[in-house]
Amino acid sequence: MNWQNVATIARKDLTVMMTRRSLRIALAVLPVGLAVLFSQIIARGSFQRDSLPQTLNAFLFFFMIYTGALPATIASYSLVGEKIERSLEPLLATPASDGEILLGKGLAALLPPVAAMWAGMLLLMGLCDAYTHATLGYLYFPNWMAAVTVLGLAPLLAIMAVGFSVLWSSRVSDVRTAQQIGTLAAIPGAGLYIGAVSGAFSLDLATLAVMCAILAAVDVALALAARAVFRREDILTRWA
Amino acid sequence: MIEIDHLTRRFGNATAVDALTLTIAEGEVFGLLGPNGAGKTTTIRMLAGLIGKTSGEARVADCRIGDPATARKLRGLVGLMPEEAGLYPDLSAARTLDFYGRLYQVPAGTRAARTERLLTMLGLWDRRDDRVRTFSKGMKQRLTIARALINDPPVLFLDEPTANLDPEGAKTVRDFLLQLRGEKRTILLNTHQLAEAERVCDRVGIMHTRLVAVGTPGGLRGAASARATSIRLAAVTDAVVAAARAVRRAEVTVSGNTLTVPVGQPERDNPELVRAVVAAGGDIQFVSGAVPSLEETYLKLLDGERLDGEKSDRNDKVAR
Ligand SMILES: Nc1ncnc2c1ncn2[C@@H]1O[C@H](COP(=O)(O)OP(=O)(O)OP(=O)(O)O)[C@@H](O)[C@H]1O
Ligand SMILES: [Mg+2]
Repeated sequence: MNWQNVATIARKDLTVMMTRRSLRIALAVLPVGLAVLFSQIIARGSFQRDSLPQTLNAFLFFFMIYTGALPATIASYSLVGEKIERSLEPLLATPASDGEILLGKGLAALLPPVAAMWAGMLLLMGLCDAYTHATLGYLYFPNWMAAVTVLGLAPLLAIMAVGFSVLWSSRVSDVRTAQQIGTLAAIPGAGLYIGAVSGAFSLDLATLAVMCAILAAVDVALALAARAVFRREDILTRWA
Repeated sequence: MIEIDHLTRRFGNATAVDALTLTIAEGEVFGLLGPNGAGKTTTIRMLAGLIGKTSGEARVADCRIGDPATARKLRGLVGLMPEEAGLYPDLSAARTLDFYGRLYQVPAGTRAARTERLLTMLGLWDRRDDRVRTFSKGMKQRLTIARALINDPPVLFLDEPTANLDPEGAKTVRDFLLQLRGEKRTILLNTHQLAEAERVCDRVGIMHTRLVAVGTPGGLRGAASARATSIRLAAVTDAVVAAARAVRRAEVTVSGNTLTVPVGQPERDNPELVRAVVAAGGDIQFVSGAVPSLEETYLKLLDGERLDGEKSDRNDKVAR
């Protein structure tokens, strides 16, 4: 693995991505907008002192699920975009290996949305602390559950979305379908959401840890599958 | 530099390239001609290490194709201009070359110098910071040539370098190819443009899944078609036609005031032919050699190949 090639490809993808206004807006507006919206619900709602901590946790969790659609959208856009422009052939003609190309593109699809999710989460936690400090008498965030959600679940969910997009991108060749993939990738998140709302599981540290373990296993499986799909021979003779 | 031995590629049951055997010397410019679907792109993709072969062997710049141990090295020694430009519309010309230069491990200083030299030579230097999105088709095509050269490759594969260009754009590219030829690079180029092949290539191969014929453009023409002499007269009379026919005992064609007579060896046959025409009262205005164009040769060779193919199909059926 030549890490310089990985970095070169990731940097190029980031450059191209950031020239798209719609993506820049999605990356900036969605997390900030949701953070403000959620914190306003906390600020204006009449929550009991006892139920407040649980509500705050749930909001952070849901925030993660909503923003989890971003990496899928970006990854499928970047791969399907290369397919449409036919730019994979000259890229595959360079000495860069399949794995380096895949990893570079994966990282580029992962980093901006994860950074945007983190920024949004920090903002959400900061605003919630500001609004709830008086009621609770202490700063609710940061705490262990928040740490697991932000540093564990969020990136693991993003990796899953990217892996999923790579697999789907090998099958579709228009941006509209690619964007629908973004929606599809939200299904596991929606499942978690329904599970949490319906009380099928409670959002405690142990549950989150189990979720992390399951997501990590799914991520490894998806990464292996993506690696198997991303072979230059197949990309040039079958992907089109 | 490029040695191809019975290289074959199948897609499912269909054979795209059938037992291609060919050697291209260092510094040679070789043109692969053939109709749509002849297997030209498939050949280039195999030689550039992009797709695998079904059977056969090939060595490019001393790397065996399909050998995982040298795959990376092979791709580093080859420049490829693919059939479709595949540029990133949102990168500038300079940024595009910088990106590929990095992937070919070209050191930063060399990369910058080469980018400047290539973009200047191809008339894109003034537009280096503009996004490729704003380029015309011809400019994009020239940028893909620059991209193929950013690693200064000893072997260059060009898949239809002047396709879809207007005559002026095609000429710019062709002139650049002639310049490359002076640099002792080994070049394999695919084209439908016979005139282009004739002007740029040392040798051409006519391909139709199989390699139908190989030779210099002139040699192929000579081999494929008998020569003929055209005589333009003030007026063509029956006596003149009869005289010409008597000399060559061959089919004489008349078009307007021009008489075309097949000849075996112009140097030997023409004087006699002219004397006979004059004796029959013909007023000769011009005499010229009617050399068939490469296009005629090409179509004739492909026709022969198609007939052969049908014959062997029939034989297959009979055998079954
Ligand atoms: N990925 C593929 N899957 C199946 N068949 C293919 C594939 N790629 C090429 N072929 C077939 O192989 C044959 C040769 O195709 P190729 O693209 O090499 O031709 P070509 O000479 O480059 O044609 P053109 O002048 O149109 O570019 C064609 O019959 C084509 O249908
Ligand atoms: Mg082709």
